[in-house]
Amino acid sequence: MDEEGPLMTVTSATGTMRIVRPRRAIRAGEGKWTLLLIAVVLAILLIWEAAVSWLQLVPAAFLPPPTAVFASFLELLVRPDFWTAFWYSLQNLAIGLVLAIIVGVVVGLAVGWSAVLRFTVAPFLWLLYSTPKVALAPLFILVLGLGSESKIALVFLLAVFPIILNTMEGAVTVSTSLVNAGRVYGVNGIALGWKVIFPATLPYSLAGIQRGAALGFTGEVLGEFLGGTGGLGHMLEFAAYQFEMAEAIAMVIVMVIIANLTLGLISLLRKRLAPWYDDRKVAGVS
Amino acid sequence: MSAFLASGPNLGRGGIGAWLAGLSSAGKAGVLAIEVVVMLVIWQLVVGVFGWINPVFFPPPLAIAQGFGELVSSGVLAANLPISLQAWLIGFALAVVIGIPLGLLMGSVLPVDRVVGPIAWTIYATPSIAYQPLAKAWFGFGIGPVIFLVTISAVFPILLNIAAGMRTTNTSIIRAGRVYGANRMQLYRSVYLPSTVPFLFAGLRQAVVLATIGMVVAELSGSSSGMGAVIIRAANTYQTDQAFAAIAVVVVWSVGMTQVVTLVERWVAPWTRKGR
Repeated sequence: MDEEGPLMTVTSATGTMRIVRPRRAIRAGEGKWTLLLIAVVLAILLIWEAAVSWLQLVPAAFLPPPTAVFASFLELLVRPDFWTAFWYSLQNLAIGLVLAIIVGVVVGLAVGWSAVLRFTVAPFLWLLYSTPKVALAPLFILVLGLGSESKIALVFLLAVFPIILNTMEGAVTVSTSLVNAGRVYGVNGIALGWKVIFPATLPYSLAGIQRGAALGFTGEVLGEFLGGTGGLGHMLEFAAYQFEMAEAIAMVIVMVIIANLTLGLISLLRKRLAPWYDDRKVAGVS
Repeated sequence: MSAFLASGPNLGRGGIGAWLAGLSSAGKAGVLAIEVVVMLVIWQLVVGVFGWINPVFFPPPLAIAQGFGELVSSGVLAANLPISLQAWLIGFALAVVIGIPLGLLMGSVLPVDRVVGPIAWTIYATPSIAYQPLAKAWFGFGIGPVIFLVTISAVFPILLNIAAGMRTTNTSIIRAGRVYGANRMQLYRSVYLPSTVPFLFAGLRQAVVLATIGMVVAELSGSSSGMGAVIIRAANTYQTDQAFAAIAVVVVWSVGMTQVVTLVERWVAPWTRKGR
């Protein structure tokens, strides 16, 4: 997901005058496509509505029409238990992610920088990274119980490895001449790490954080599926279990919105914090 | 891997780091093998011998090996592994069959790209676990939702990578092809296809990992058979050694399929980076 991210947006790597004009031209063209997209989505919704409520090709209990889904979406927004579940999930996700970012960036920088650590630790990190760690979810619930702790731990575990590996990759690819230039100017030790390595690695870390956020979301929802005491995942599963499909689809839409907003926010951060990088060059580990 | 280990700006300043980086690839493999053995021994000592960590929560390697033996001898593995693999293979095949043509279509027809692209990205950005309860309600308890989740996890990386590959084909090569009088078909055959293949295989590799996650997630929370169900049953009865053994089987499958994709790439497309 990391390397294709920028392709859906207009890349503006540098803010030079040259780039500005074609971007405007592209924007104007893009507007036409947005209209087409909206038209197609509306057409799909219309066909769906027609197939379910007018022609009754599909039973409405099985696949409720978009109007019913929209109605239950609005209904959700005024339900206090929805907001309780919403904040519960988001809080766990945020705590787990922040921990994963701190640990991931520090470990990633250390391992990427030190050749000895890279040799001793990196292979294990790769191994753990490629392990489907979602399989550990039942063990986490066994050890940490049904409360928030197991979910936070699961979010952390799933999110930390992409962050570590991307940061590591970034630290390894820091240009030697930057480092040497820093050394010439007498920057060494921690200062070198903070002033040269960290900024040069930042876009990679953010690519990792983007991937980590998606995986952390999986961890949170899975934790709630398996040990349900609260949260959006539990609400969704309960709605589907009760066969209230309109509410279940509305919950899925809520999750789609959360996931896309999170990713969008991180890409925005990426453009803000590291505008000097061409997104396409930051392939990253995916 | 060894190329990655021996790169970076912080090398050649003496010490162990330089020594390690200077080793031959056989030497590096040897060092790694020793590390793995040391790690396993420490793990076994800390958990199994000294008992500093409760072995129920984090069983030592020998116990996991024993748990694997139990899974085999009780027939649990033989009963559940084929179900998982079947669901995985069907789901992955569906993802390939849907993903490749749609990706090619997106890559060659701009309106399709601009309409399908954003929709695909929106669905792809959401972890596939969110769709699992719907799949369970629609397809019932069993292999149906597992196949659905594997497909929906695997189809988007394939589709989006192919589309991206077609779109990022080097324009100067396309122009060169036109100059030499290539028609549309020939352009596709000898310019677009070779430059898209690496993207296809990168997408397939991502898809293998995501499909495995999808399979495990679907089986953990919505199936009475398959490796996910074995894991959750073992964990719930505190037989964590068996749970870890089952997880190891899933890991072997995931890593193995990634290797298969790389081998196929090496065979079909030897001009790519991984293919070499």
